[in-house]
Amino acid sequence: MERTLFLSGNEALAHGAARAGATFACGYPGTPSTEILETIARLEGVHAEWCVNEKVALETAIGASRAGRRTLVTMKHVGLNVAADPLLTLTETGVTAGLVIVSADDPNMNSSQNEQDNRNYAKFAKIPMLEPSDSQEAYDFVAEAFALSEEFDTPVLLRPTTRVSHGRGQIVPGVPVAFEPREYVKDVTKHLMVPQWARLRTRFVIERLQRLRVRAEESPLNVLEAGTADFGIITSGISYVYAREAFPKAWFLKLGMSHPLPYRKVAQLYQHVSRVAVVEELDPFLEEQVRMLGLPVIGKEAIPANGELDQDVVFRALEPFLSRRPPRRRRAVFPPAPRLADLPPAPDLPVRPPVLCAGCKHRSVFTALRRHKVAAMGDIGCYMLGADPPLNALDSSLCMGAGIGIMAGFNKALGRKASVAVIGDSTFFHSGITALISAHYNEADGVVLILDNRTTAMTGHQGTPGSGVRPDLTEGPAIDLQKLCEGIGVRCVTVDATDYGGLKAALKAEIDAPGLSVFVAQAPCALMVRENLGAVIVDDERCNLCGLCLEIGCPAIAPGDDAVSIIDGCTGCGLCVAVCRRGALIPAGETS
Amino acid sequence: MNGVTTVSLMGVGGQGILLAAAIIAQTASAAGLRVKTSEVHGMAQRGGSVLSTVRFGKEVWSPVTHSADVVIATELLEGHRGLGLLGPEGALVCAVSTRIPPGSVLRGEQAYPEDLQAAAAAHGVRLIAVDAEALAREAGTLRAVNVALLGAASAVLPFTAESWQRGLTAAVPAKILAVNERAFALGRDAVVPEDAQTS
Repeated sequence: MERTLFLSGNEALAHGAARAGATFACGYPGTPSTEILETIARLEGVHAEWCVNEKVALETAIGASRAGRRTLVTMKHVGLNVAADPLLTLTETGVTAGLVIVSADDPNMNSSQNEQDNRNYAKFAKIPMLEPSDSQEAYDFVAEAFALSEEFDTPVLLRPTTRVSHGRGQIVPGVPVAFEPREYVKDVTKHLMVPQWARLRTRFVIERLQRLRVRAEESPLNVLEAGTADFGIITSGISYVYAREAFPKAWFLKLGMSHPLPYRKVAQLYQHVSRVAVVEELDPFLEEQVRMLGLPVIGKEAIPANGELDQDVVFRALEPFLSRRPPRRRRAVFPPAPRLADLPPAPDLPVRPPVLCAGCKHRSVFTALRRHKVAAMGDIGCYMLGADPPLNALDSSLCMGAGIGIMAGFNKALGRKASVAVIGDSTFFHSGITALISAHYNEADGVVLILDNRTTAMTGHQGTPGSGVRPDLTEGPAIDLQKLCEGIGVRCVTVDATDYGGLKAALKAEIDAPGLSVFVAQAPCALMVRENLGAVIVDDERCNLCGLCLEIGCPAIAPGDDAVSIIDGCTGCGLCVAVCRRGALIPAGETS
Repeated sequence: MNGVTTVSLMGVGGQGILLAAAIIAQTASAAGLRVKTSEVHGMAQRGGSVLSTVRFGKEVWSPVTHSADVVIATELLEGHRGLGLLGPEGALVCAVSTRIPPGSVLRGEQAYPEDLQAAAAAHGVRLIAVDAEALAREAGTLRAVNVALLGAASAVLPFTAESWQRGLTAAVPAKILAVNERAFALGRDAVVPEDAQTS
């Protein structure tokens, strides 16, 4: 006889993840999800960490997935609100190795402040939702979720509810899945969600949802179970076991994969029975879609829209409907596939993307960084522009504050300082600081480069806690980044971004050093100070067009036939002077 | 479309496209017309292409459209780009002496388009070519290229001098109003009326 285990749903999720080849797991505790990570932390071969919150946990998980490791991230339903920012862009970037997000929901708020139905997030993010109904399914569905994640290049939501998470049952363990770690490949069109690339990924997301719906039609997780009564029930998750017990003779469409809904399987059920009910806790998530198909259904007029169900509630709710005359109309009308917006015509003129300004003193950081063979996990704001050619200095941009968590997960999964994070001062205050705390707590390797221009530049120079400037231009206290980071306990060096030589050496020291550190490069936004030291002068005799100064991506330097030339916009910041090895570029004040 | 006139302002982030659009909107409003504008912020100051749309008429519903009756371009390449928005009856007012090559041109990957006159003729578009930099310099600041062009564009827009004055006063900060008024007047005087041109 096979060995069986007696596990809670949460334990089963942990064992199921380990069996499916997951080697990285993280999360933030929250009832009813907590024991998943506690259990997996005791299993061999899986690295587990608590992160500082669910947003950072998901970002850390994204880093581990990028590093090619199957990754599980766990939280309770409200935690997904905190992680919604990365989730809604993660759906665009997809994954490298499988990434499964467990959102443990708590109908009836046994230990929660609300009872939101997180199946709505699957619809919102256009990603698959798996709903186990017992411990065995919790165990089995994780492997299926990882496979789906990789096959469809998507994060997968897995939603147990309290009675699944904290219920217990027998498990027949499966054969371990052999999973070879995948290799990370830099691909800005997939990982750097600036409008140019994100617009293409949005198309991918909509098409992916169509393909996922085809899969839902074929998936062994979605089962049409024959009955003997003229009554069918569409259900998912824990509601299935209640309905099964209440109506043993009914037909069932049991949806293990409840999003996207397999429309044709729903229609099939209606070929066998004349009465159909949807049994689901909380929102009429399935019911609304069934009604959208034009099919008559018993739903929330009978099944309570709040709280938990059980077999008695389900029986008492539906029993009166069974004696009524069945509805007549039973033909489904399937919605057509959505149309995608026309692609803009290929430009016949040179495009003009935004660029780091001429005179942006933080160009020096990208110039120094691109010399190192580390992935650079960027953030939101002006510094995304460091990703553009010819600098090509960034690998990734997801959402505010995400770069640090992604770096931490990436480096932890690979076991070395394979990436750094690049973030502006305003975004660091926004949500980078929590990720830094998490990385420090978990002893992640890395360098967090904070490009400190003392303002929120991209949106038009709003104040930050680092500048102290308020909307009415009064000044409050200004927070010192160096002291803040040191207060956390992280080593921090602050450099002058206008001193390229010093900055380059200091950055190399930090990248080469073990552990985690913060590297603050300070210089004001060029648009705010509008400092102009006079245009740099080119010595045509000395310039041999080696191209070093062109690689810094300054819009005020142009190549010529015999020498580079300085064109409009030069502020004399001197970075090109510093990278030139032949002394061919001369600051305005130093001509003789 | 439907008695609505659309003016598209095109340029490079930092060239004052948004202010120019605000002046036209205030001018149209002063002329007693309904007006709607639309613009994309955020990346606008970082040297990227900027497009701002002003629509005015007796009744305006949508703030956007992908065609224009008049394009005002503060840079030569953007003027070429603006041709794509114009139909045969359209007019292009372009700062032809202003050239800001984008990165792909600086790196030699793409060619900067040259002959706007021929391109406009091929489109059947009336080109009002203006050396706006010279006019702005004459007015007192290179930053007034945008308003100098508006002065030139006044030749093809249906507003009285009084409406323009009210528009300028409403949209331009007081301390730079005088220099912009000079730039506007220089731009207006630089355009030979079409009738005079043909006679």
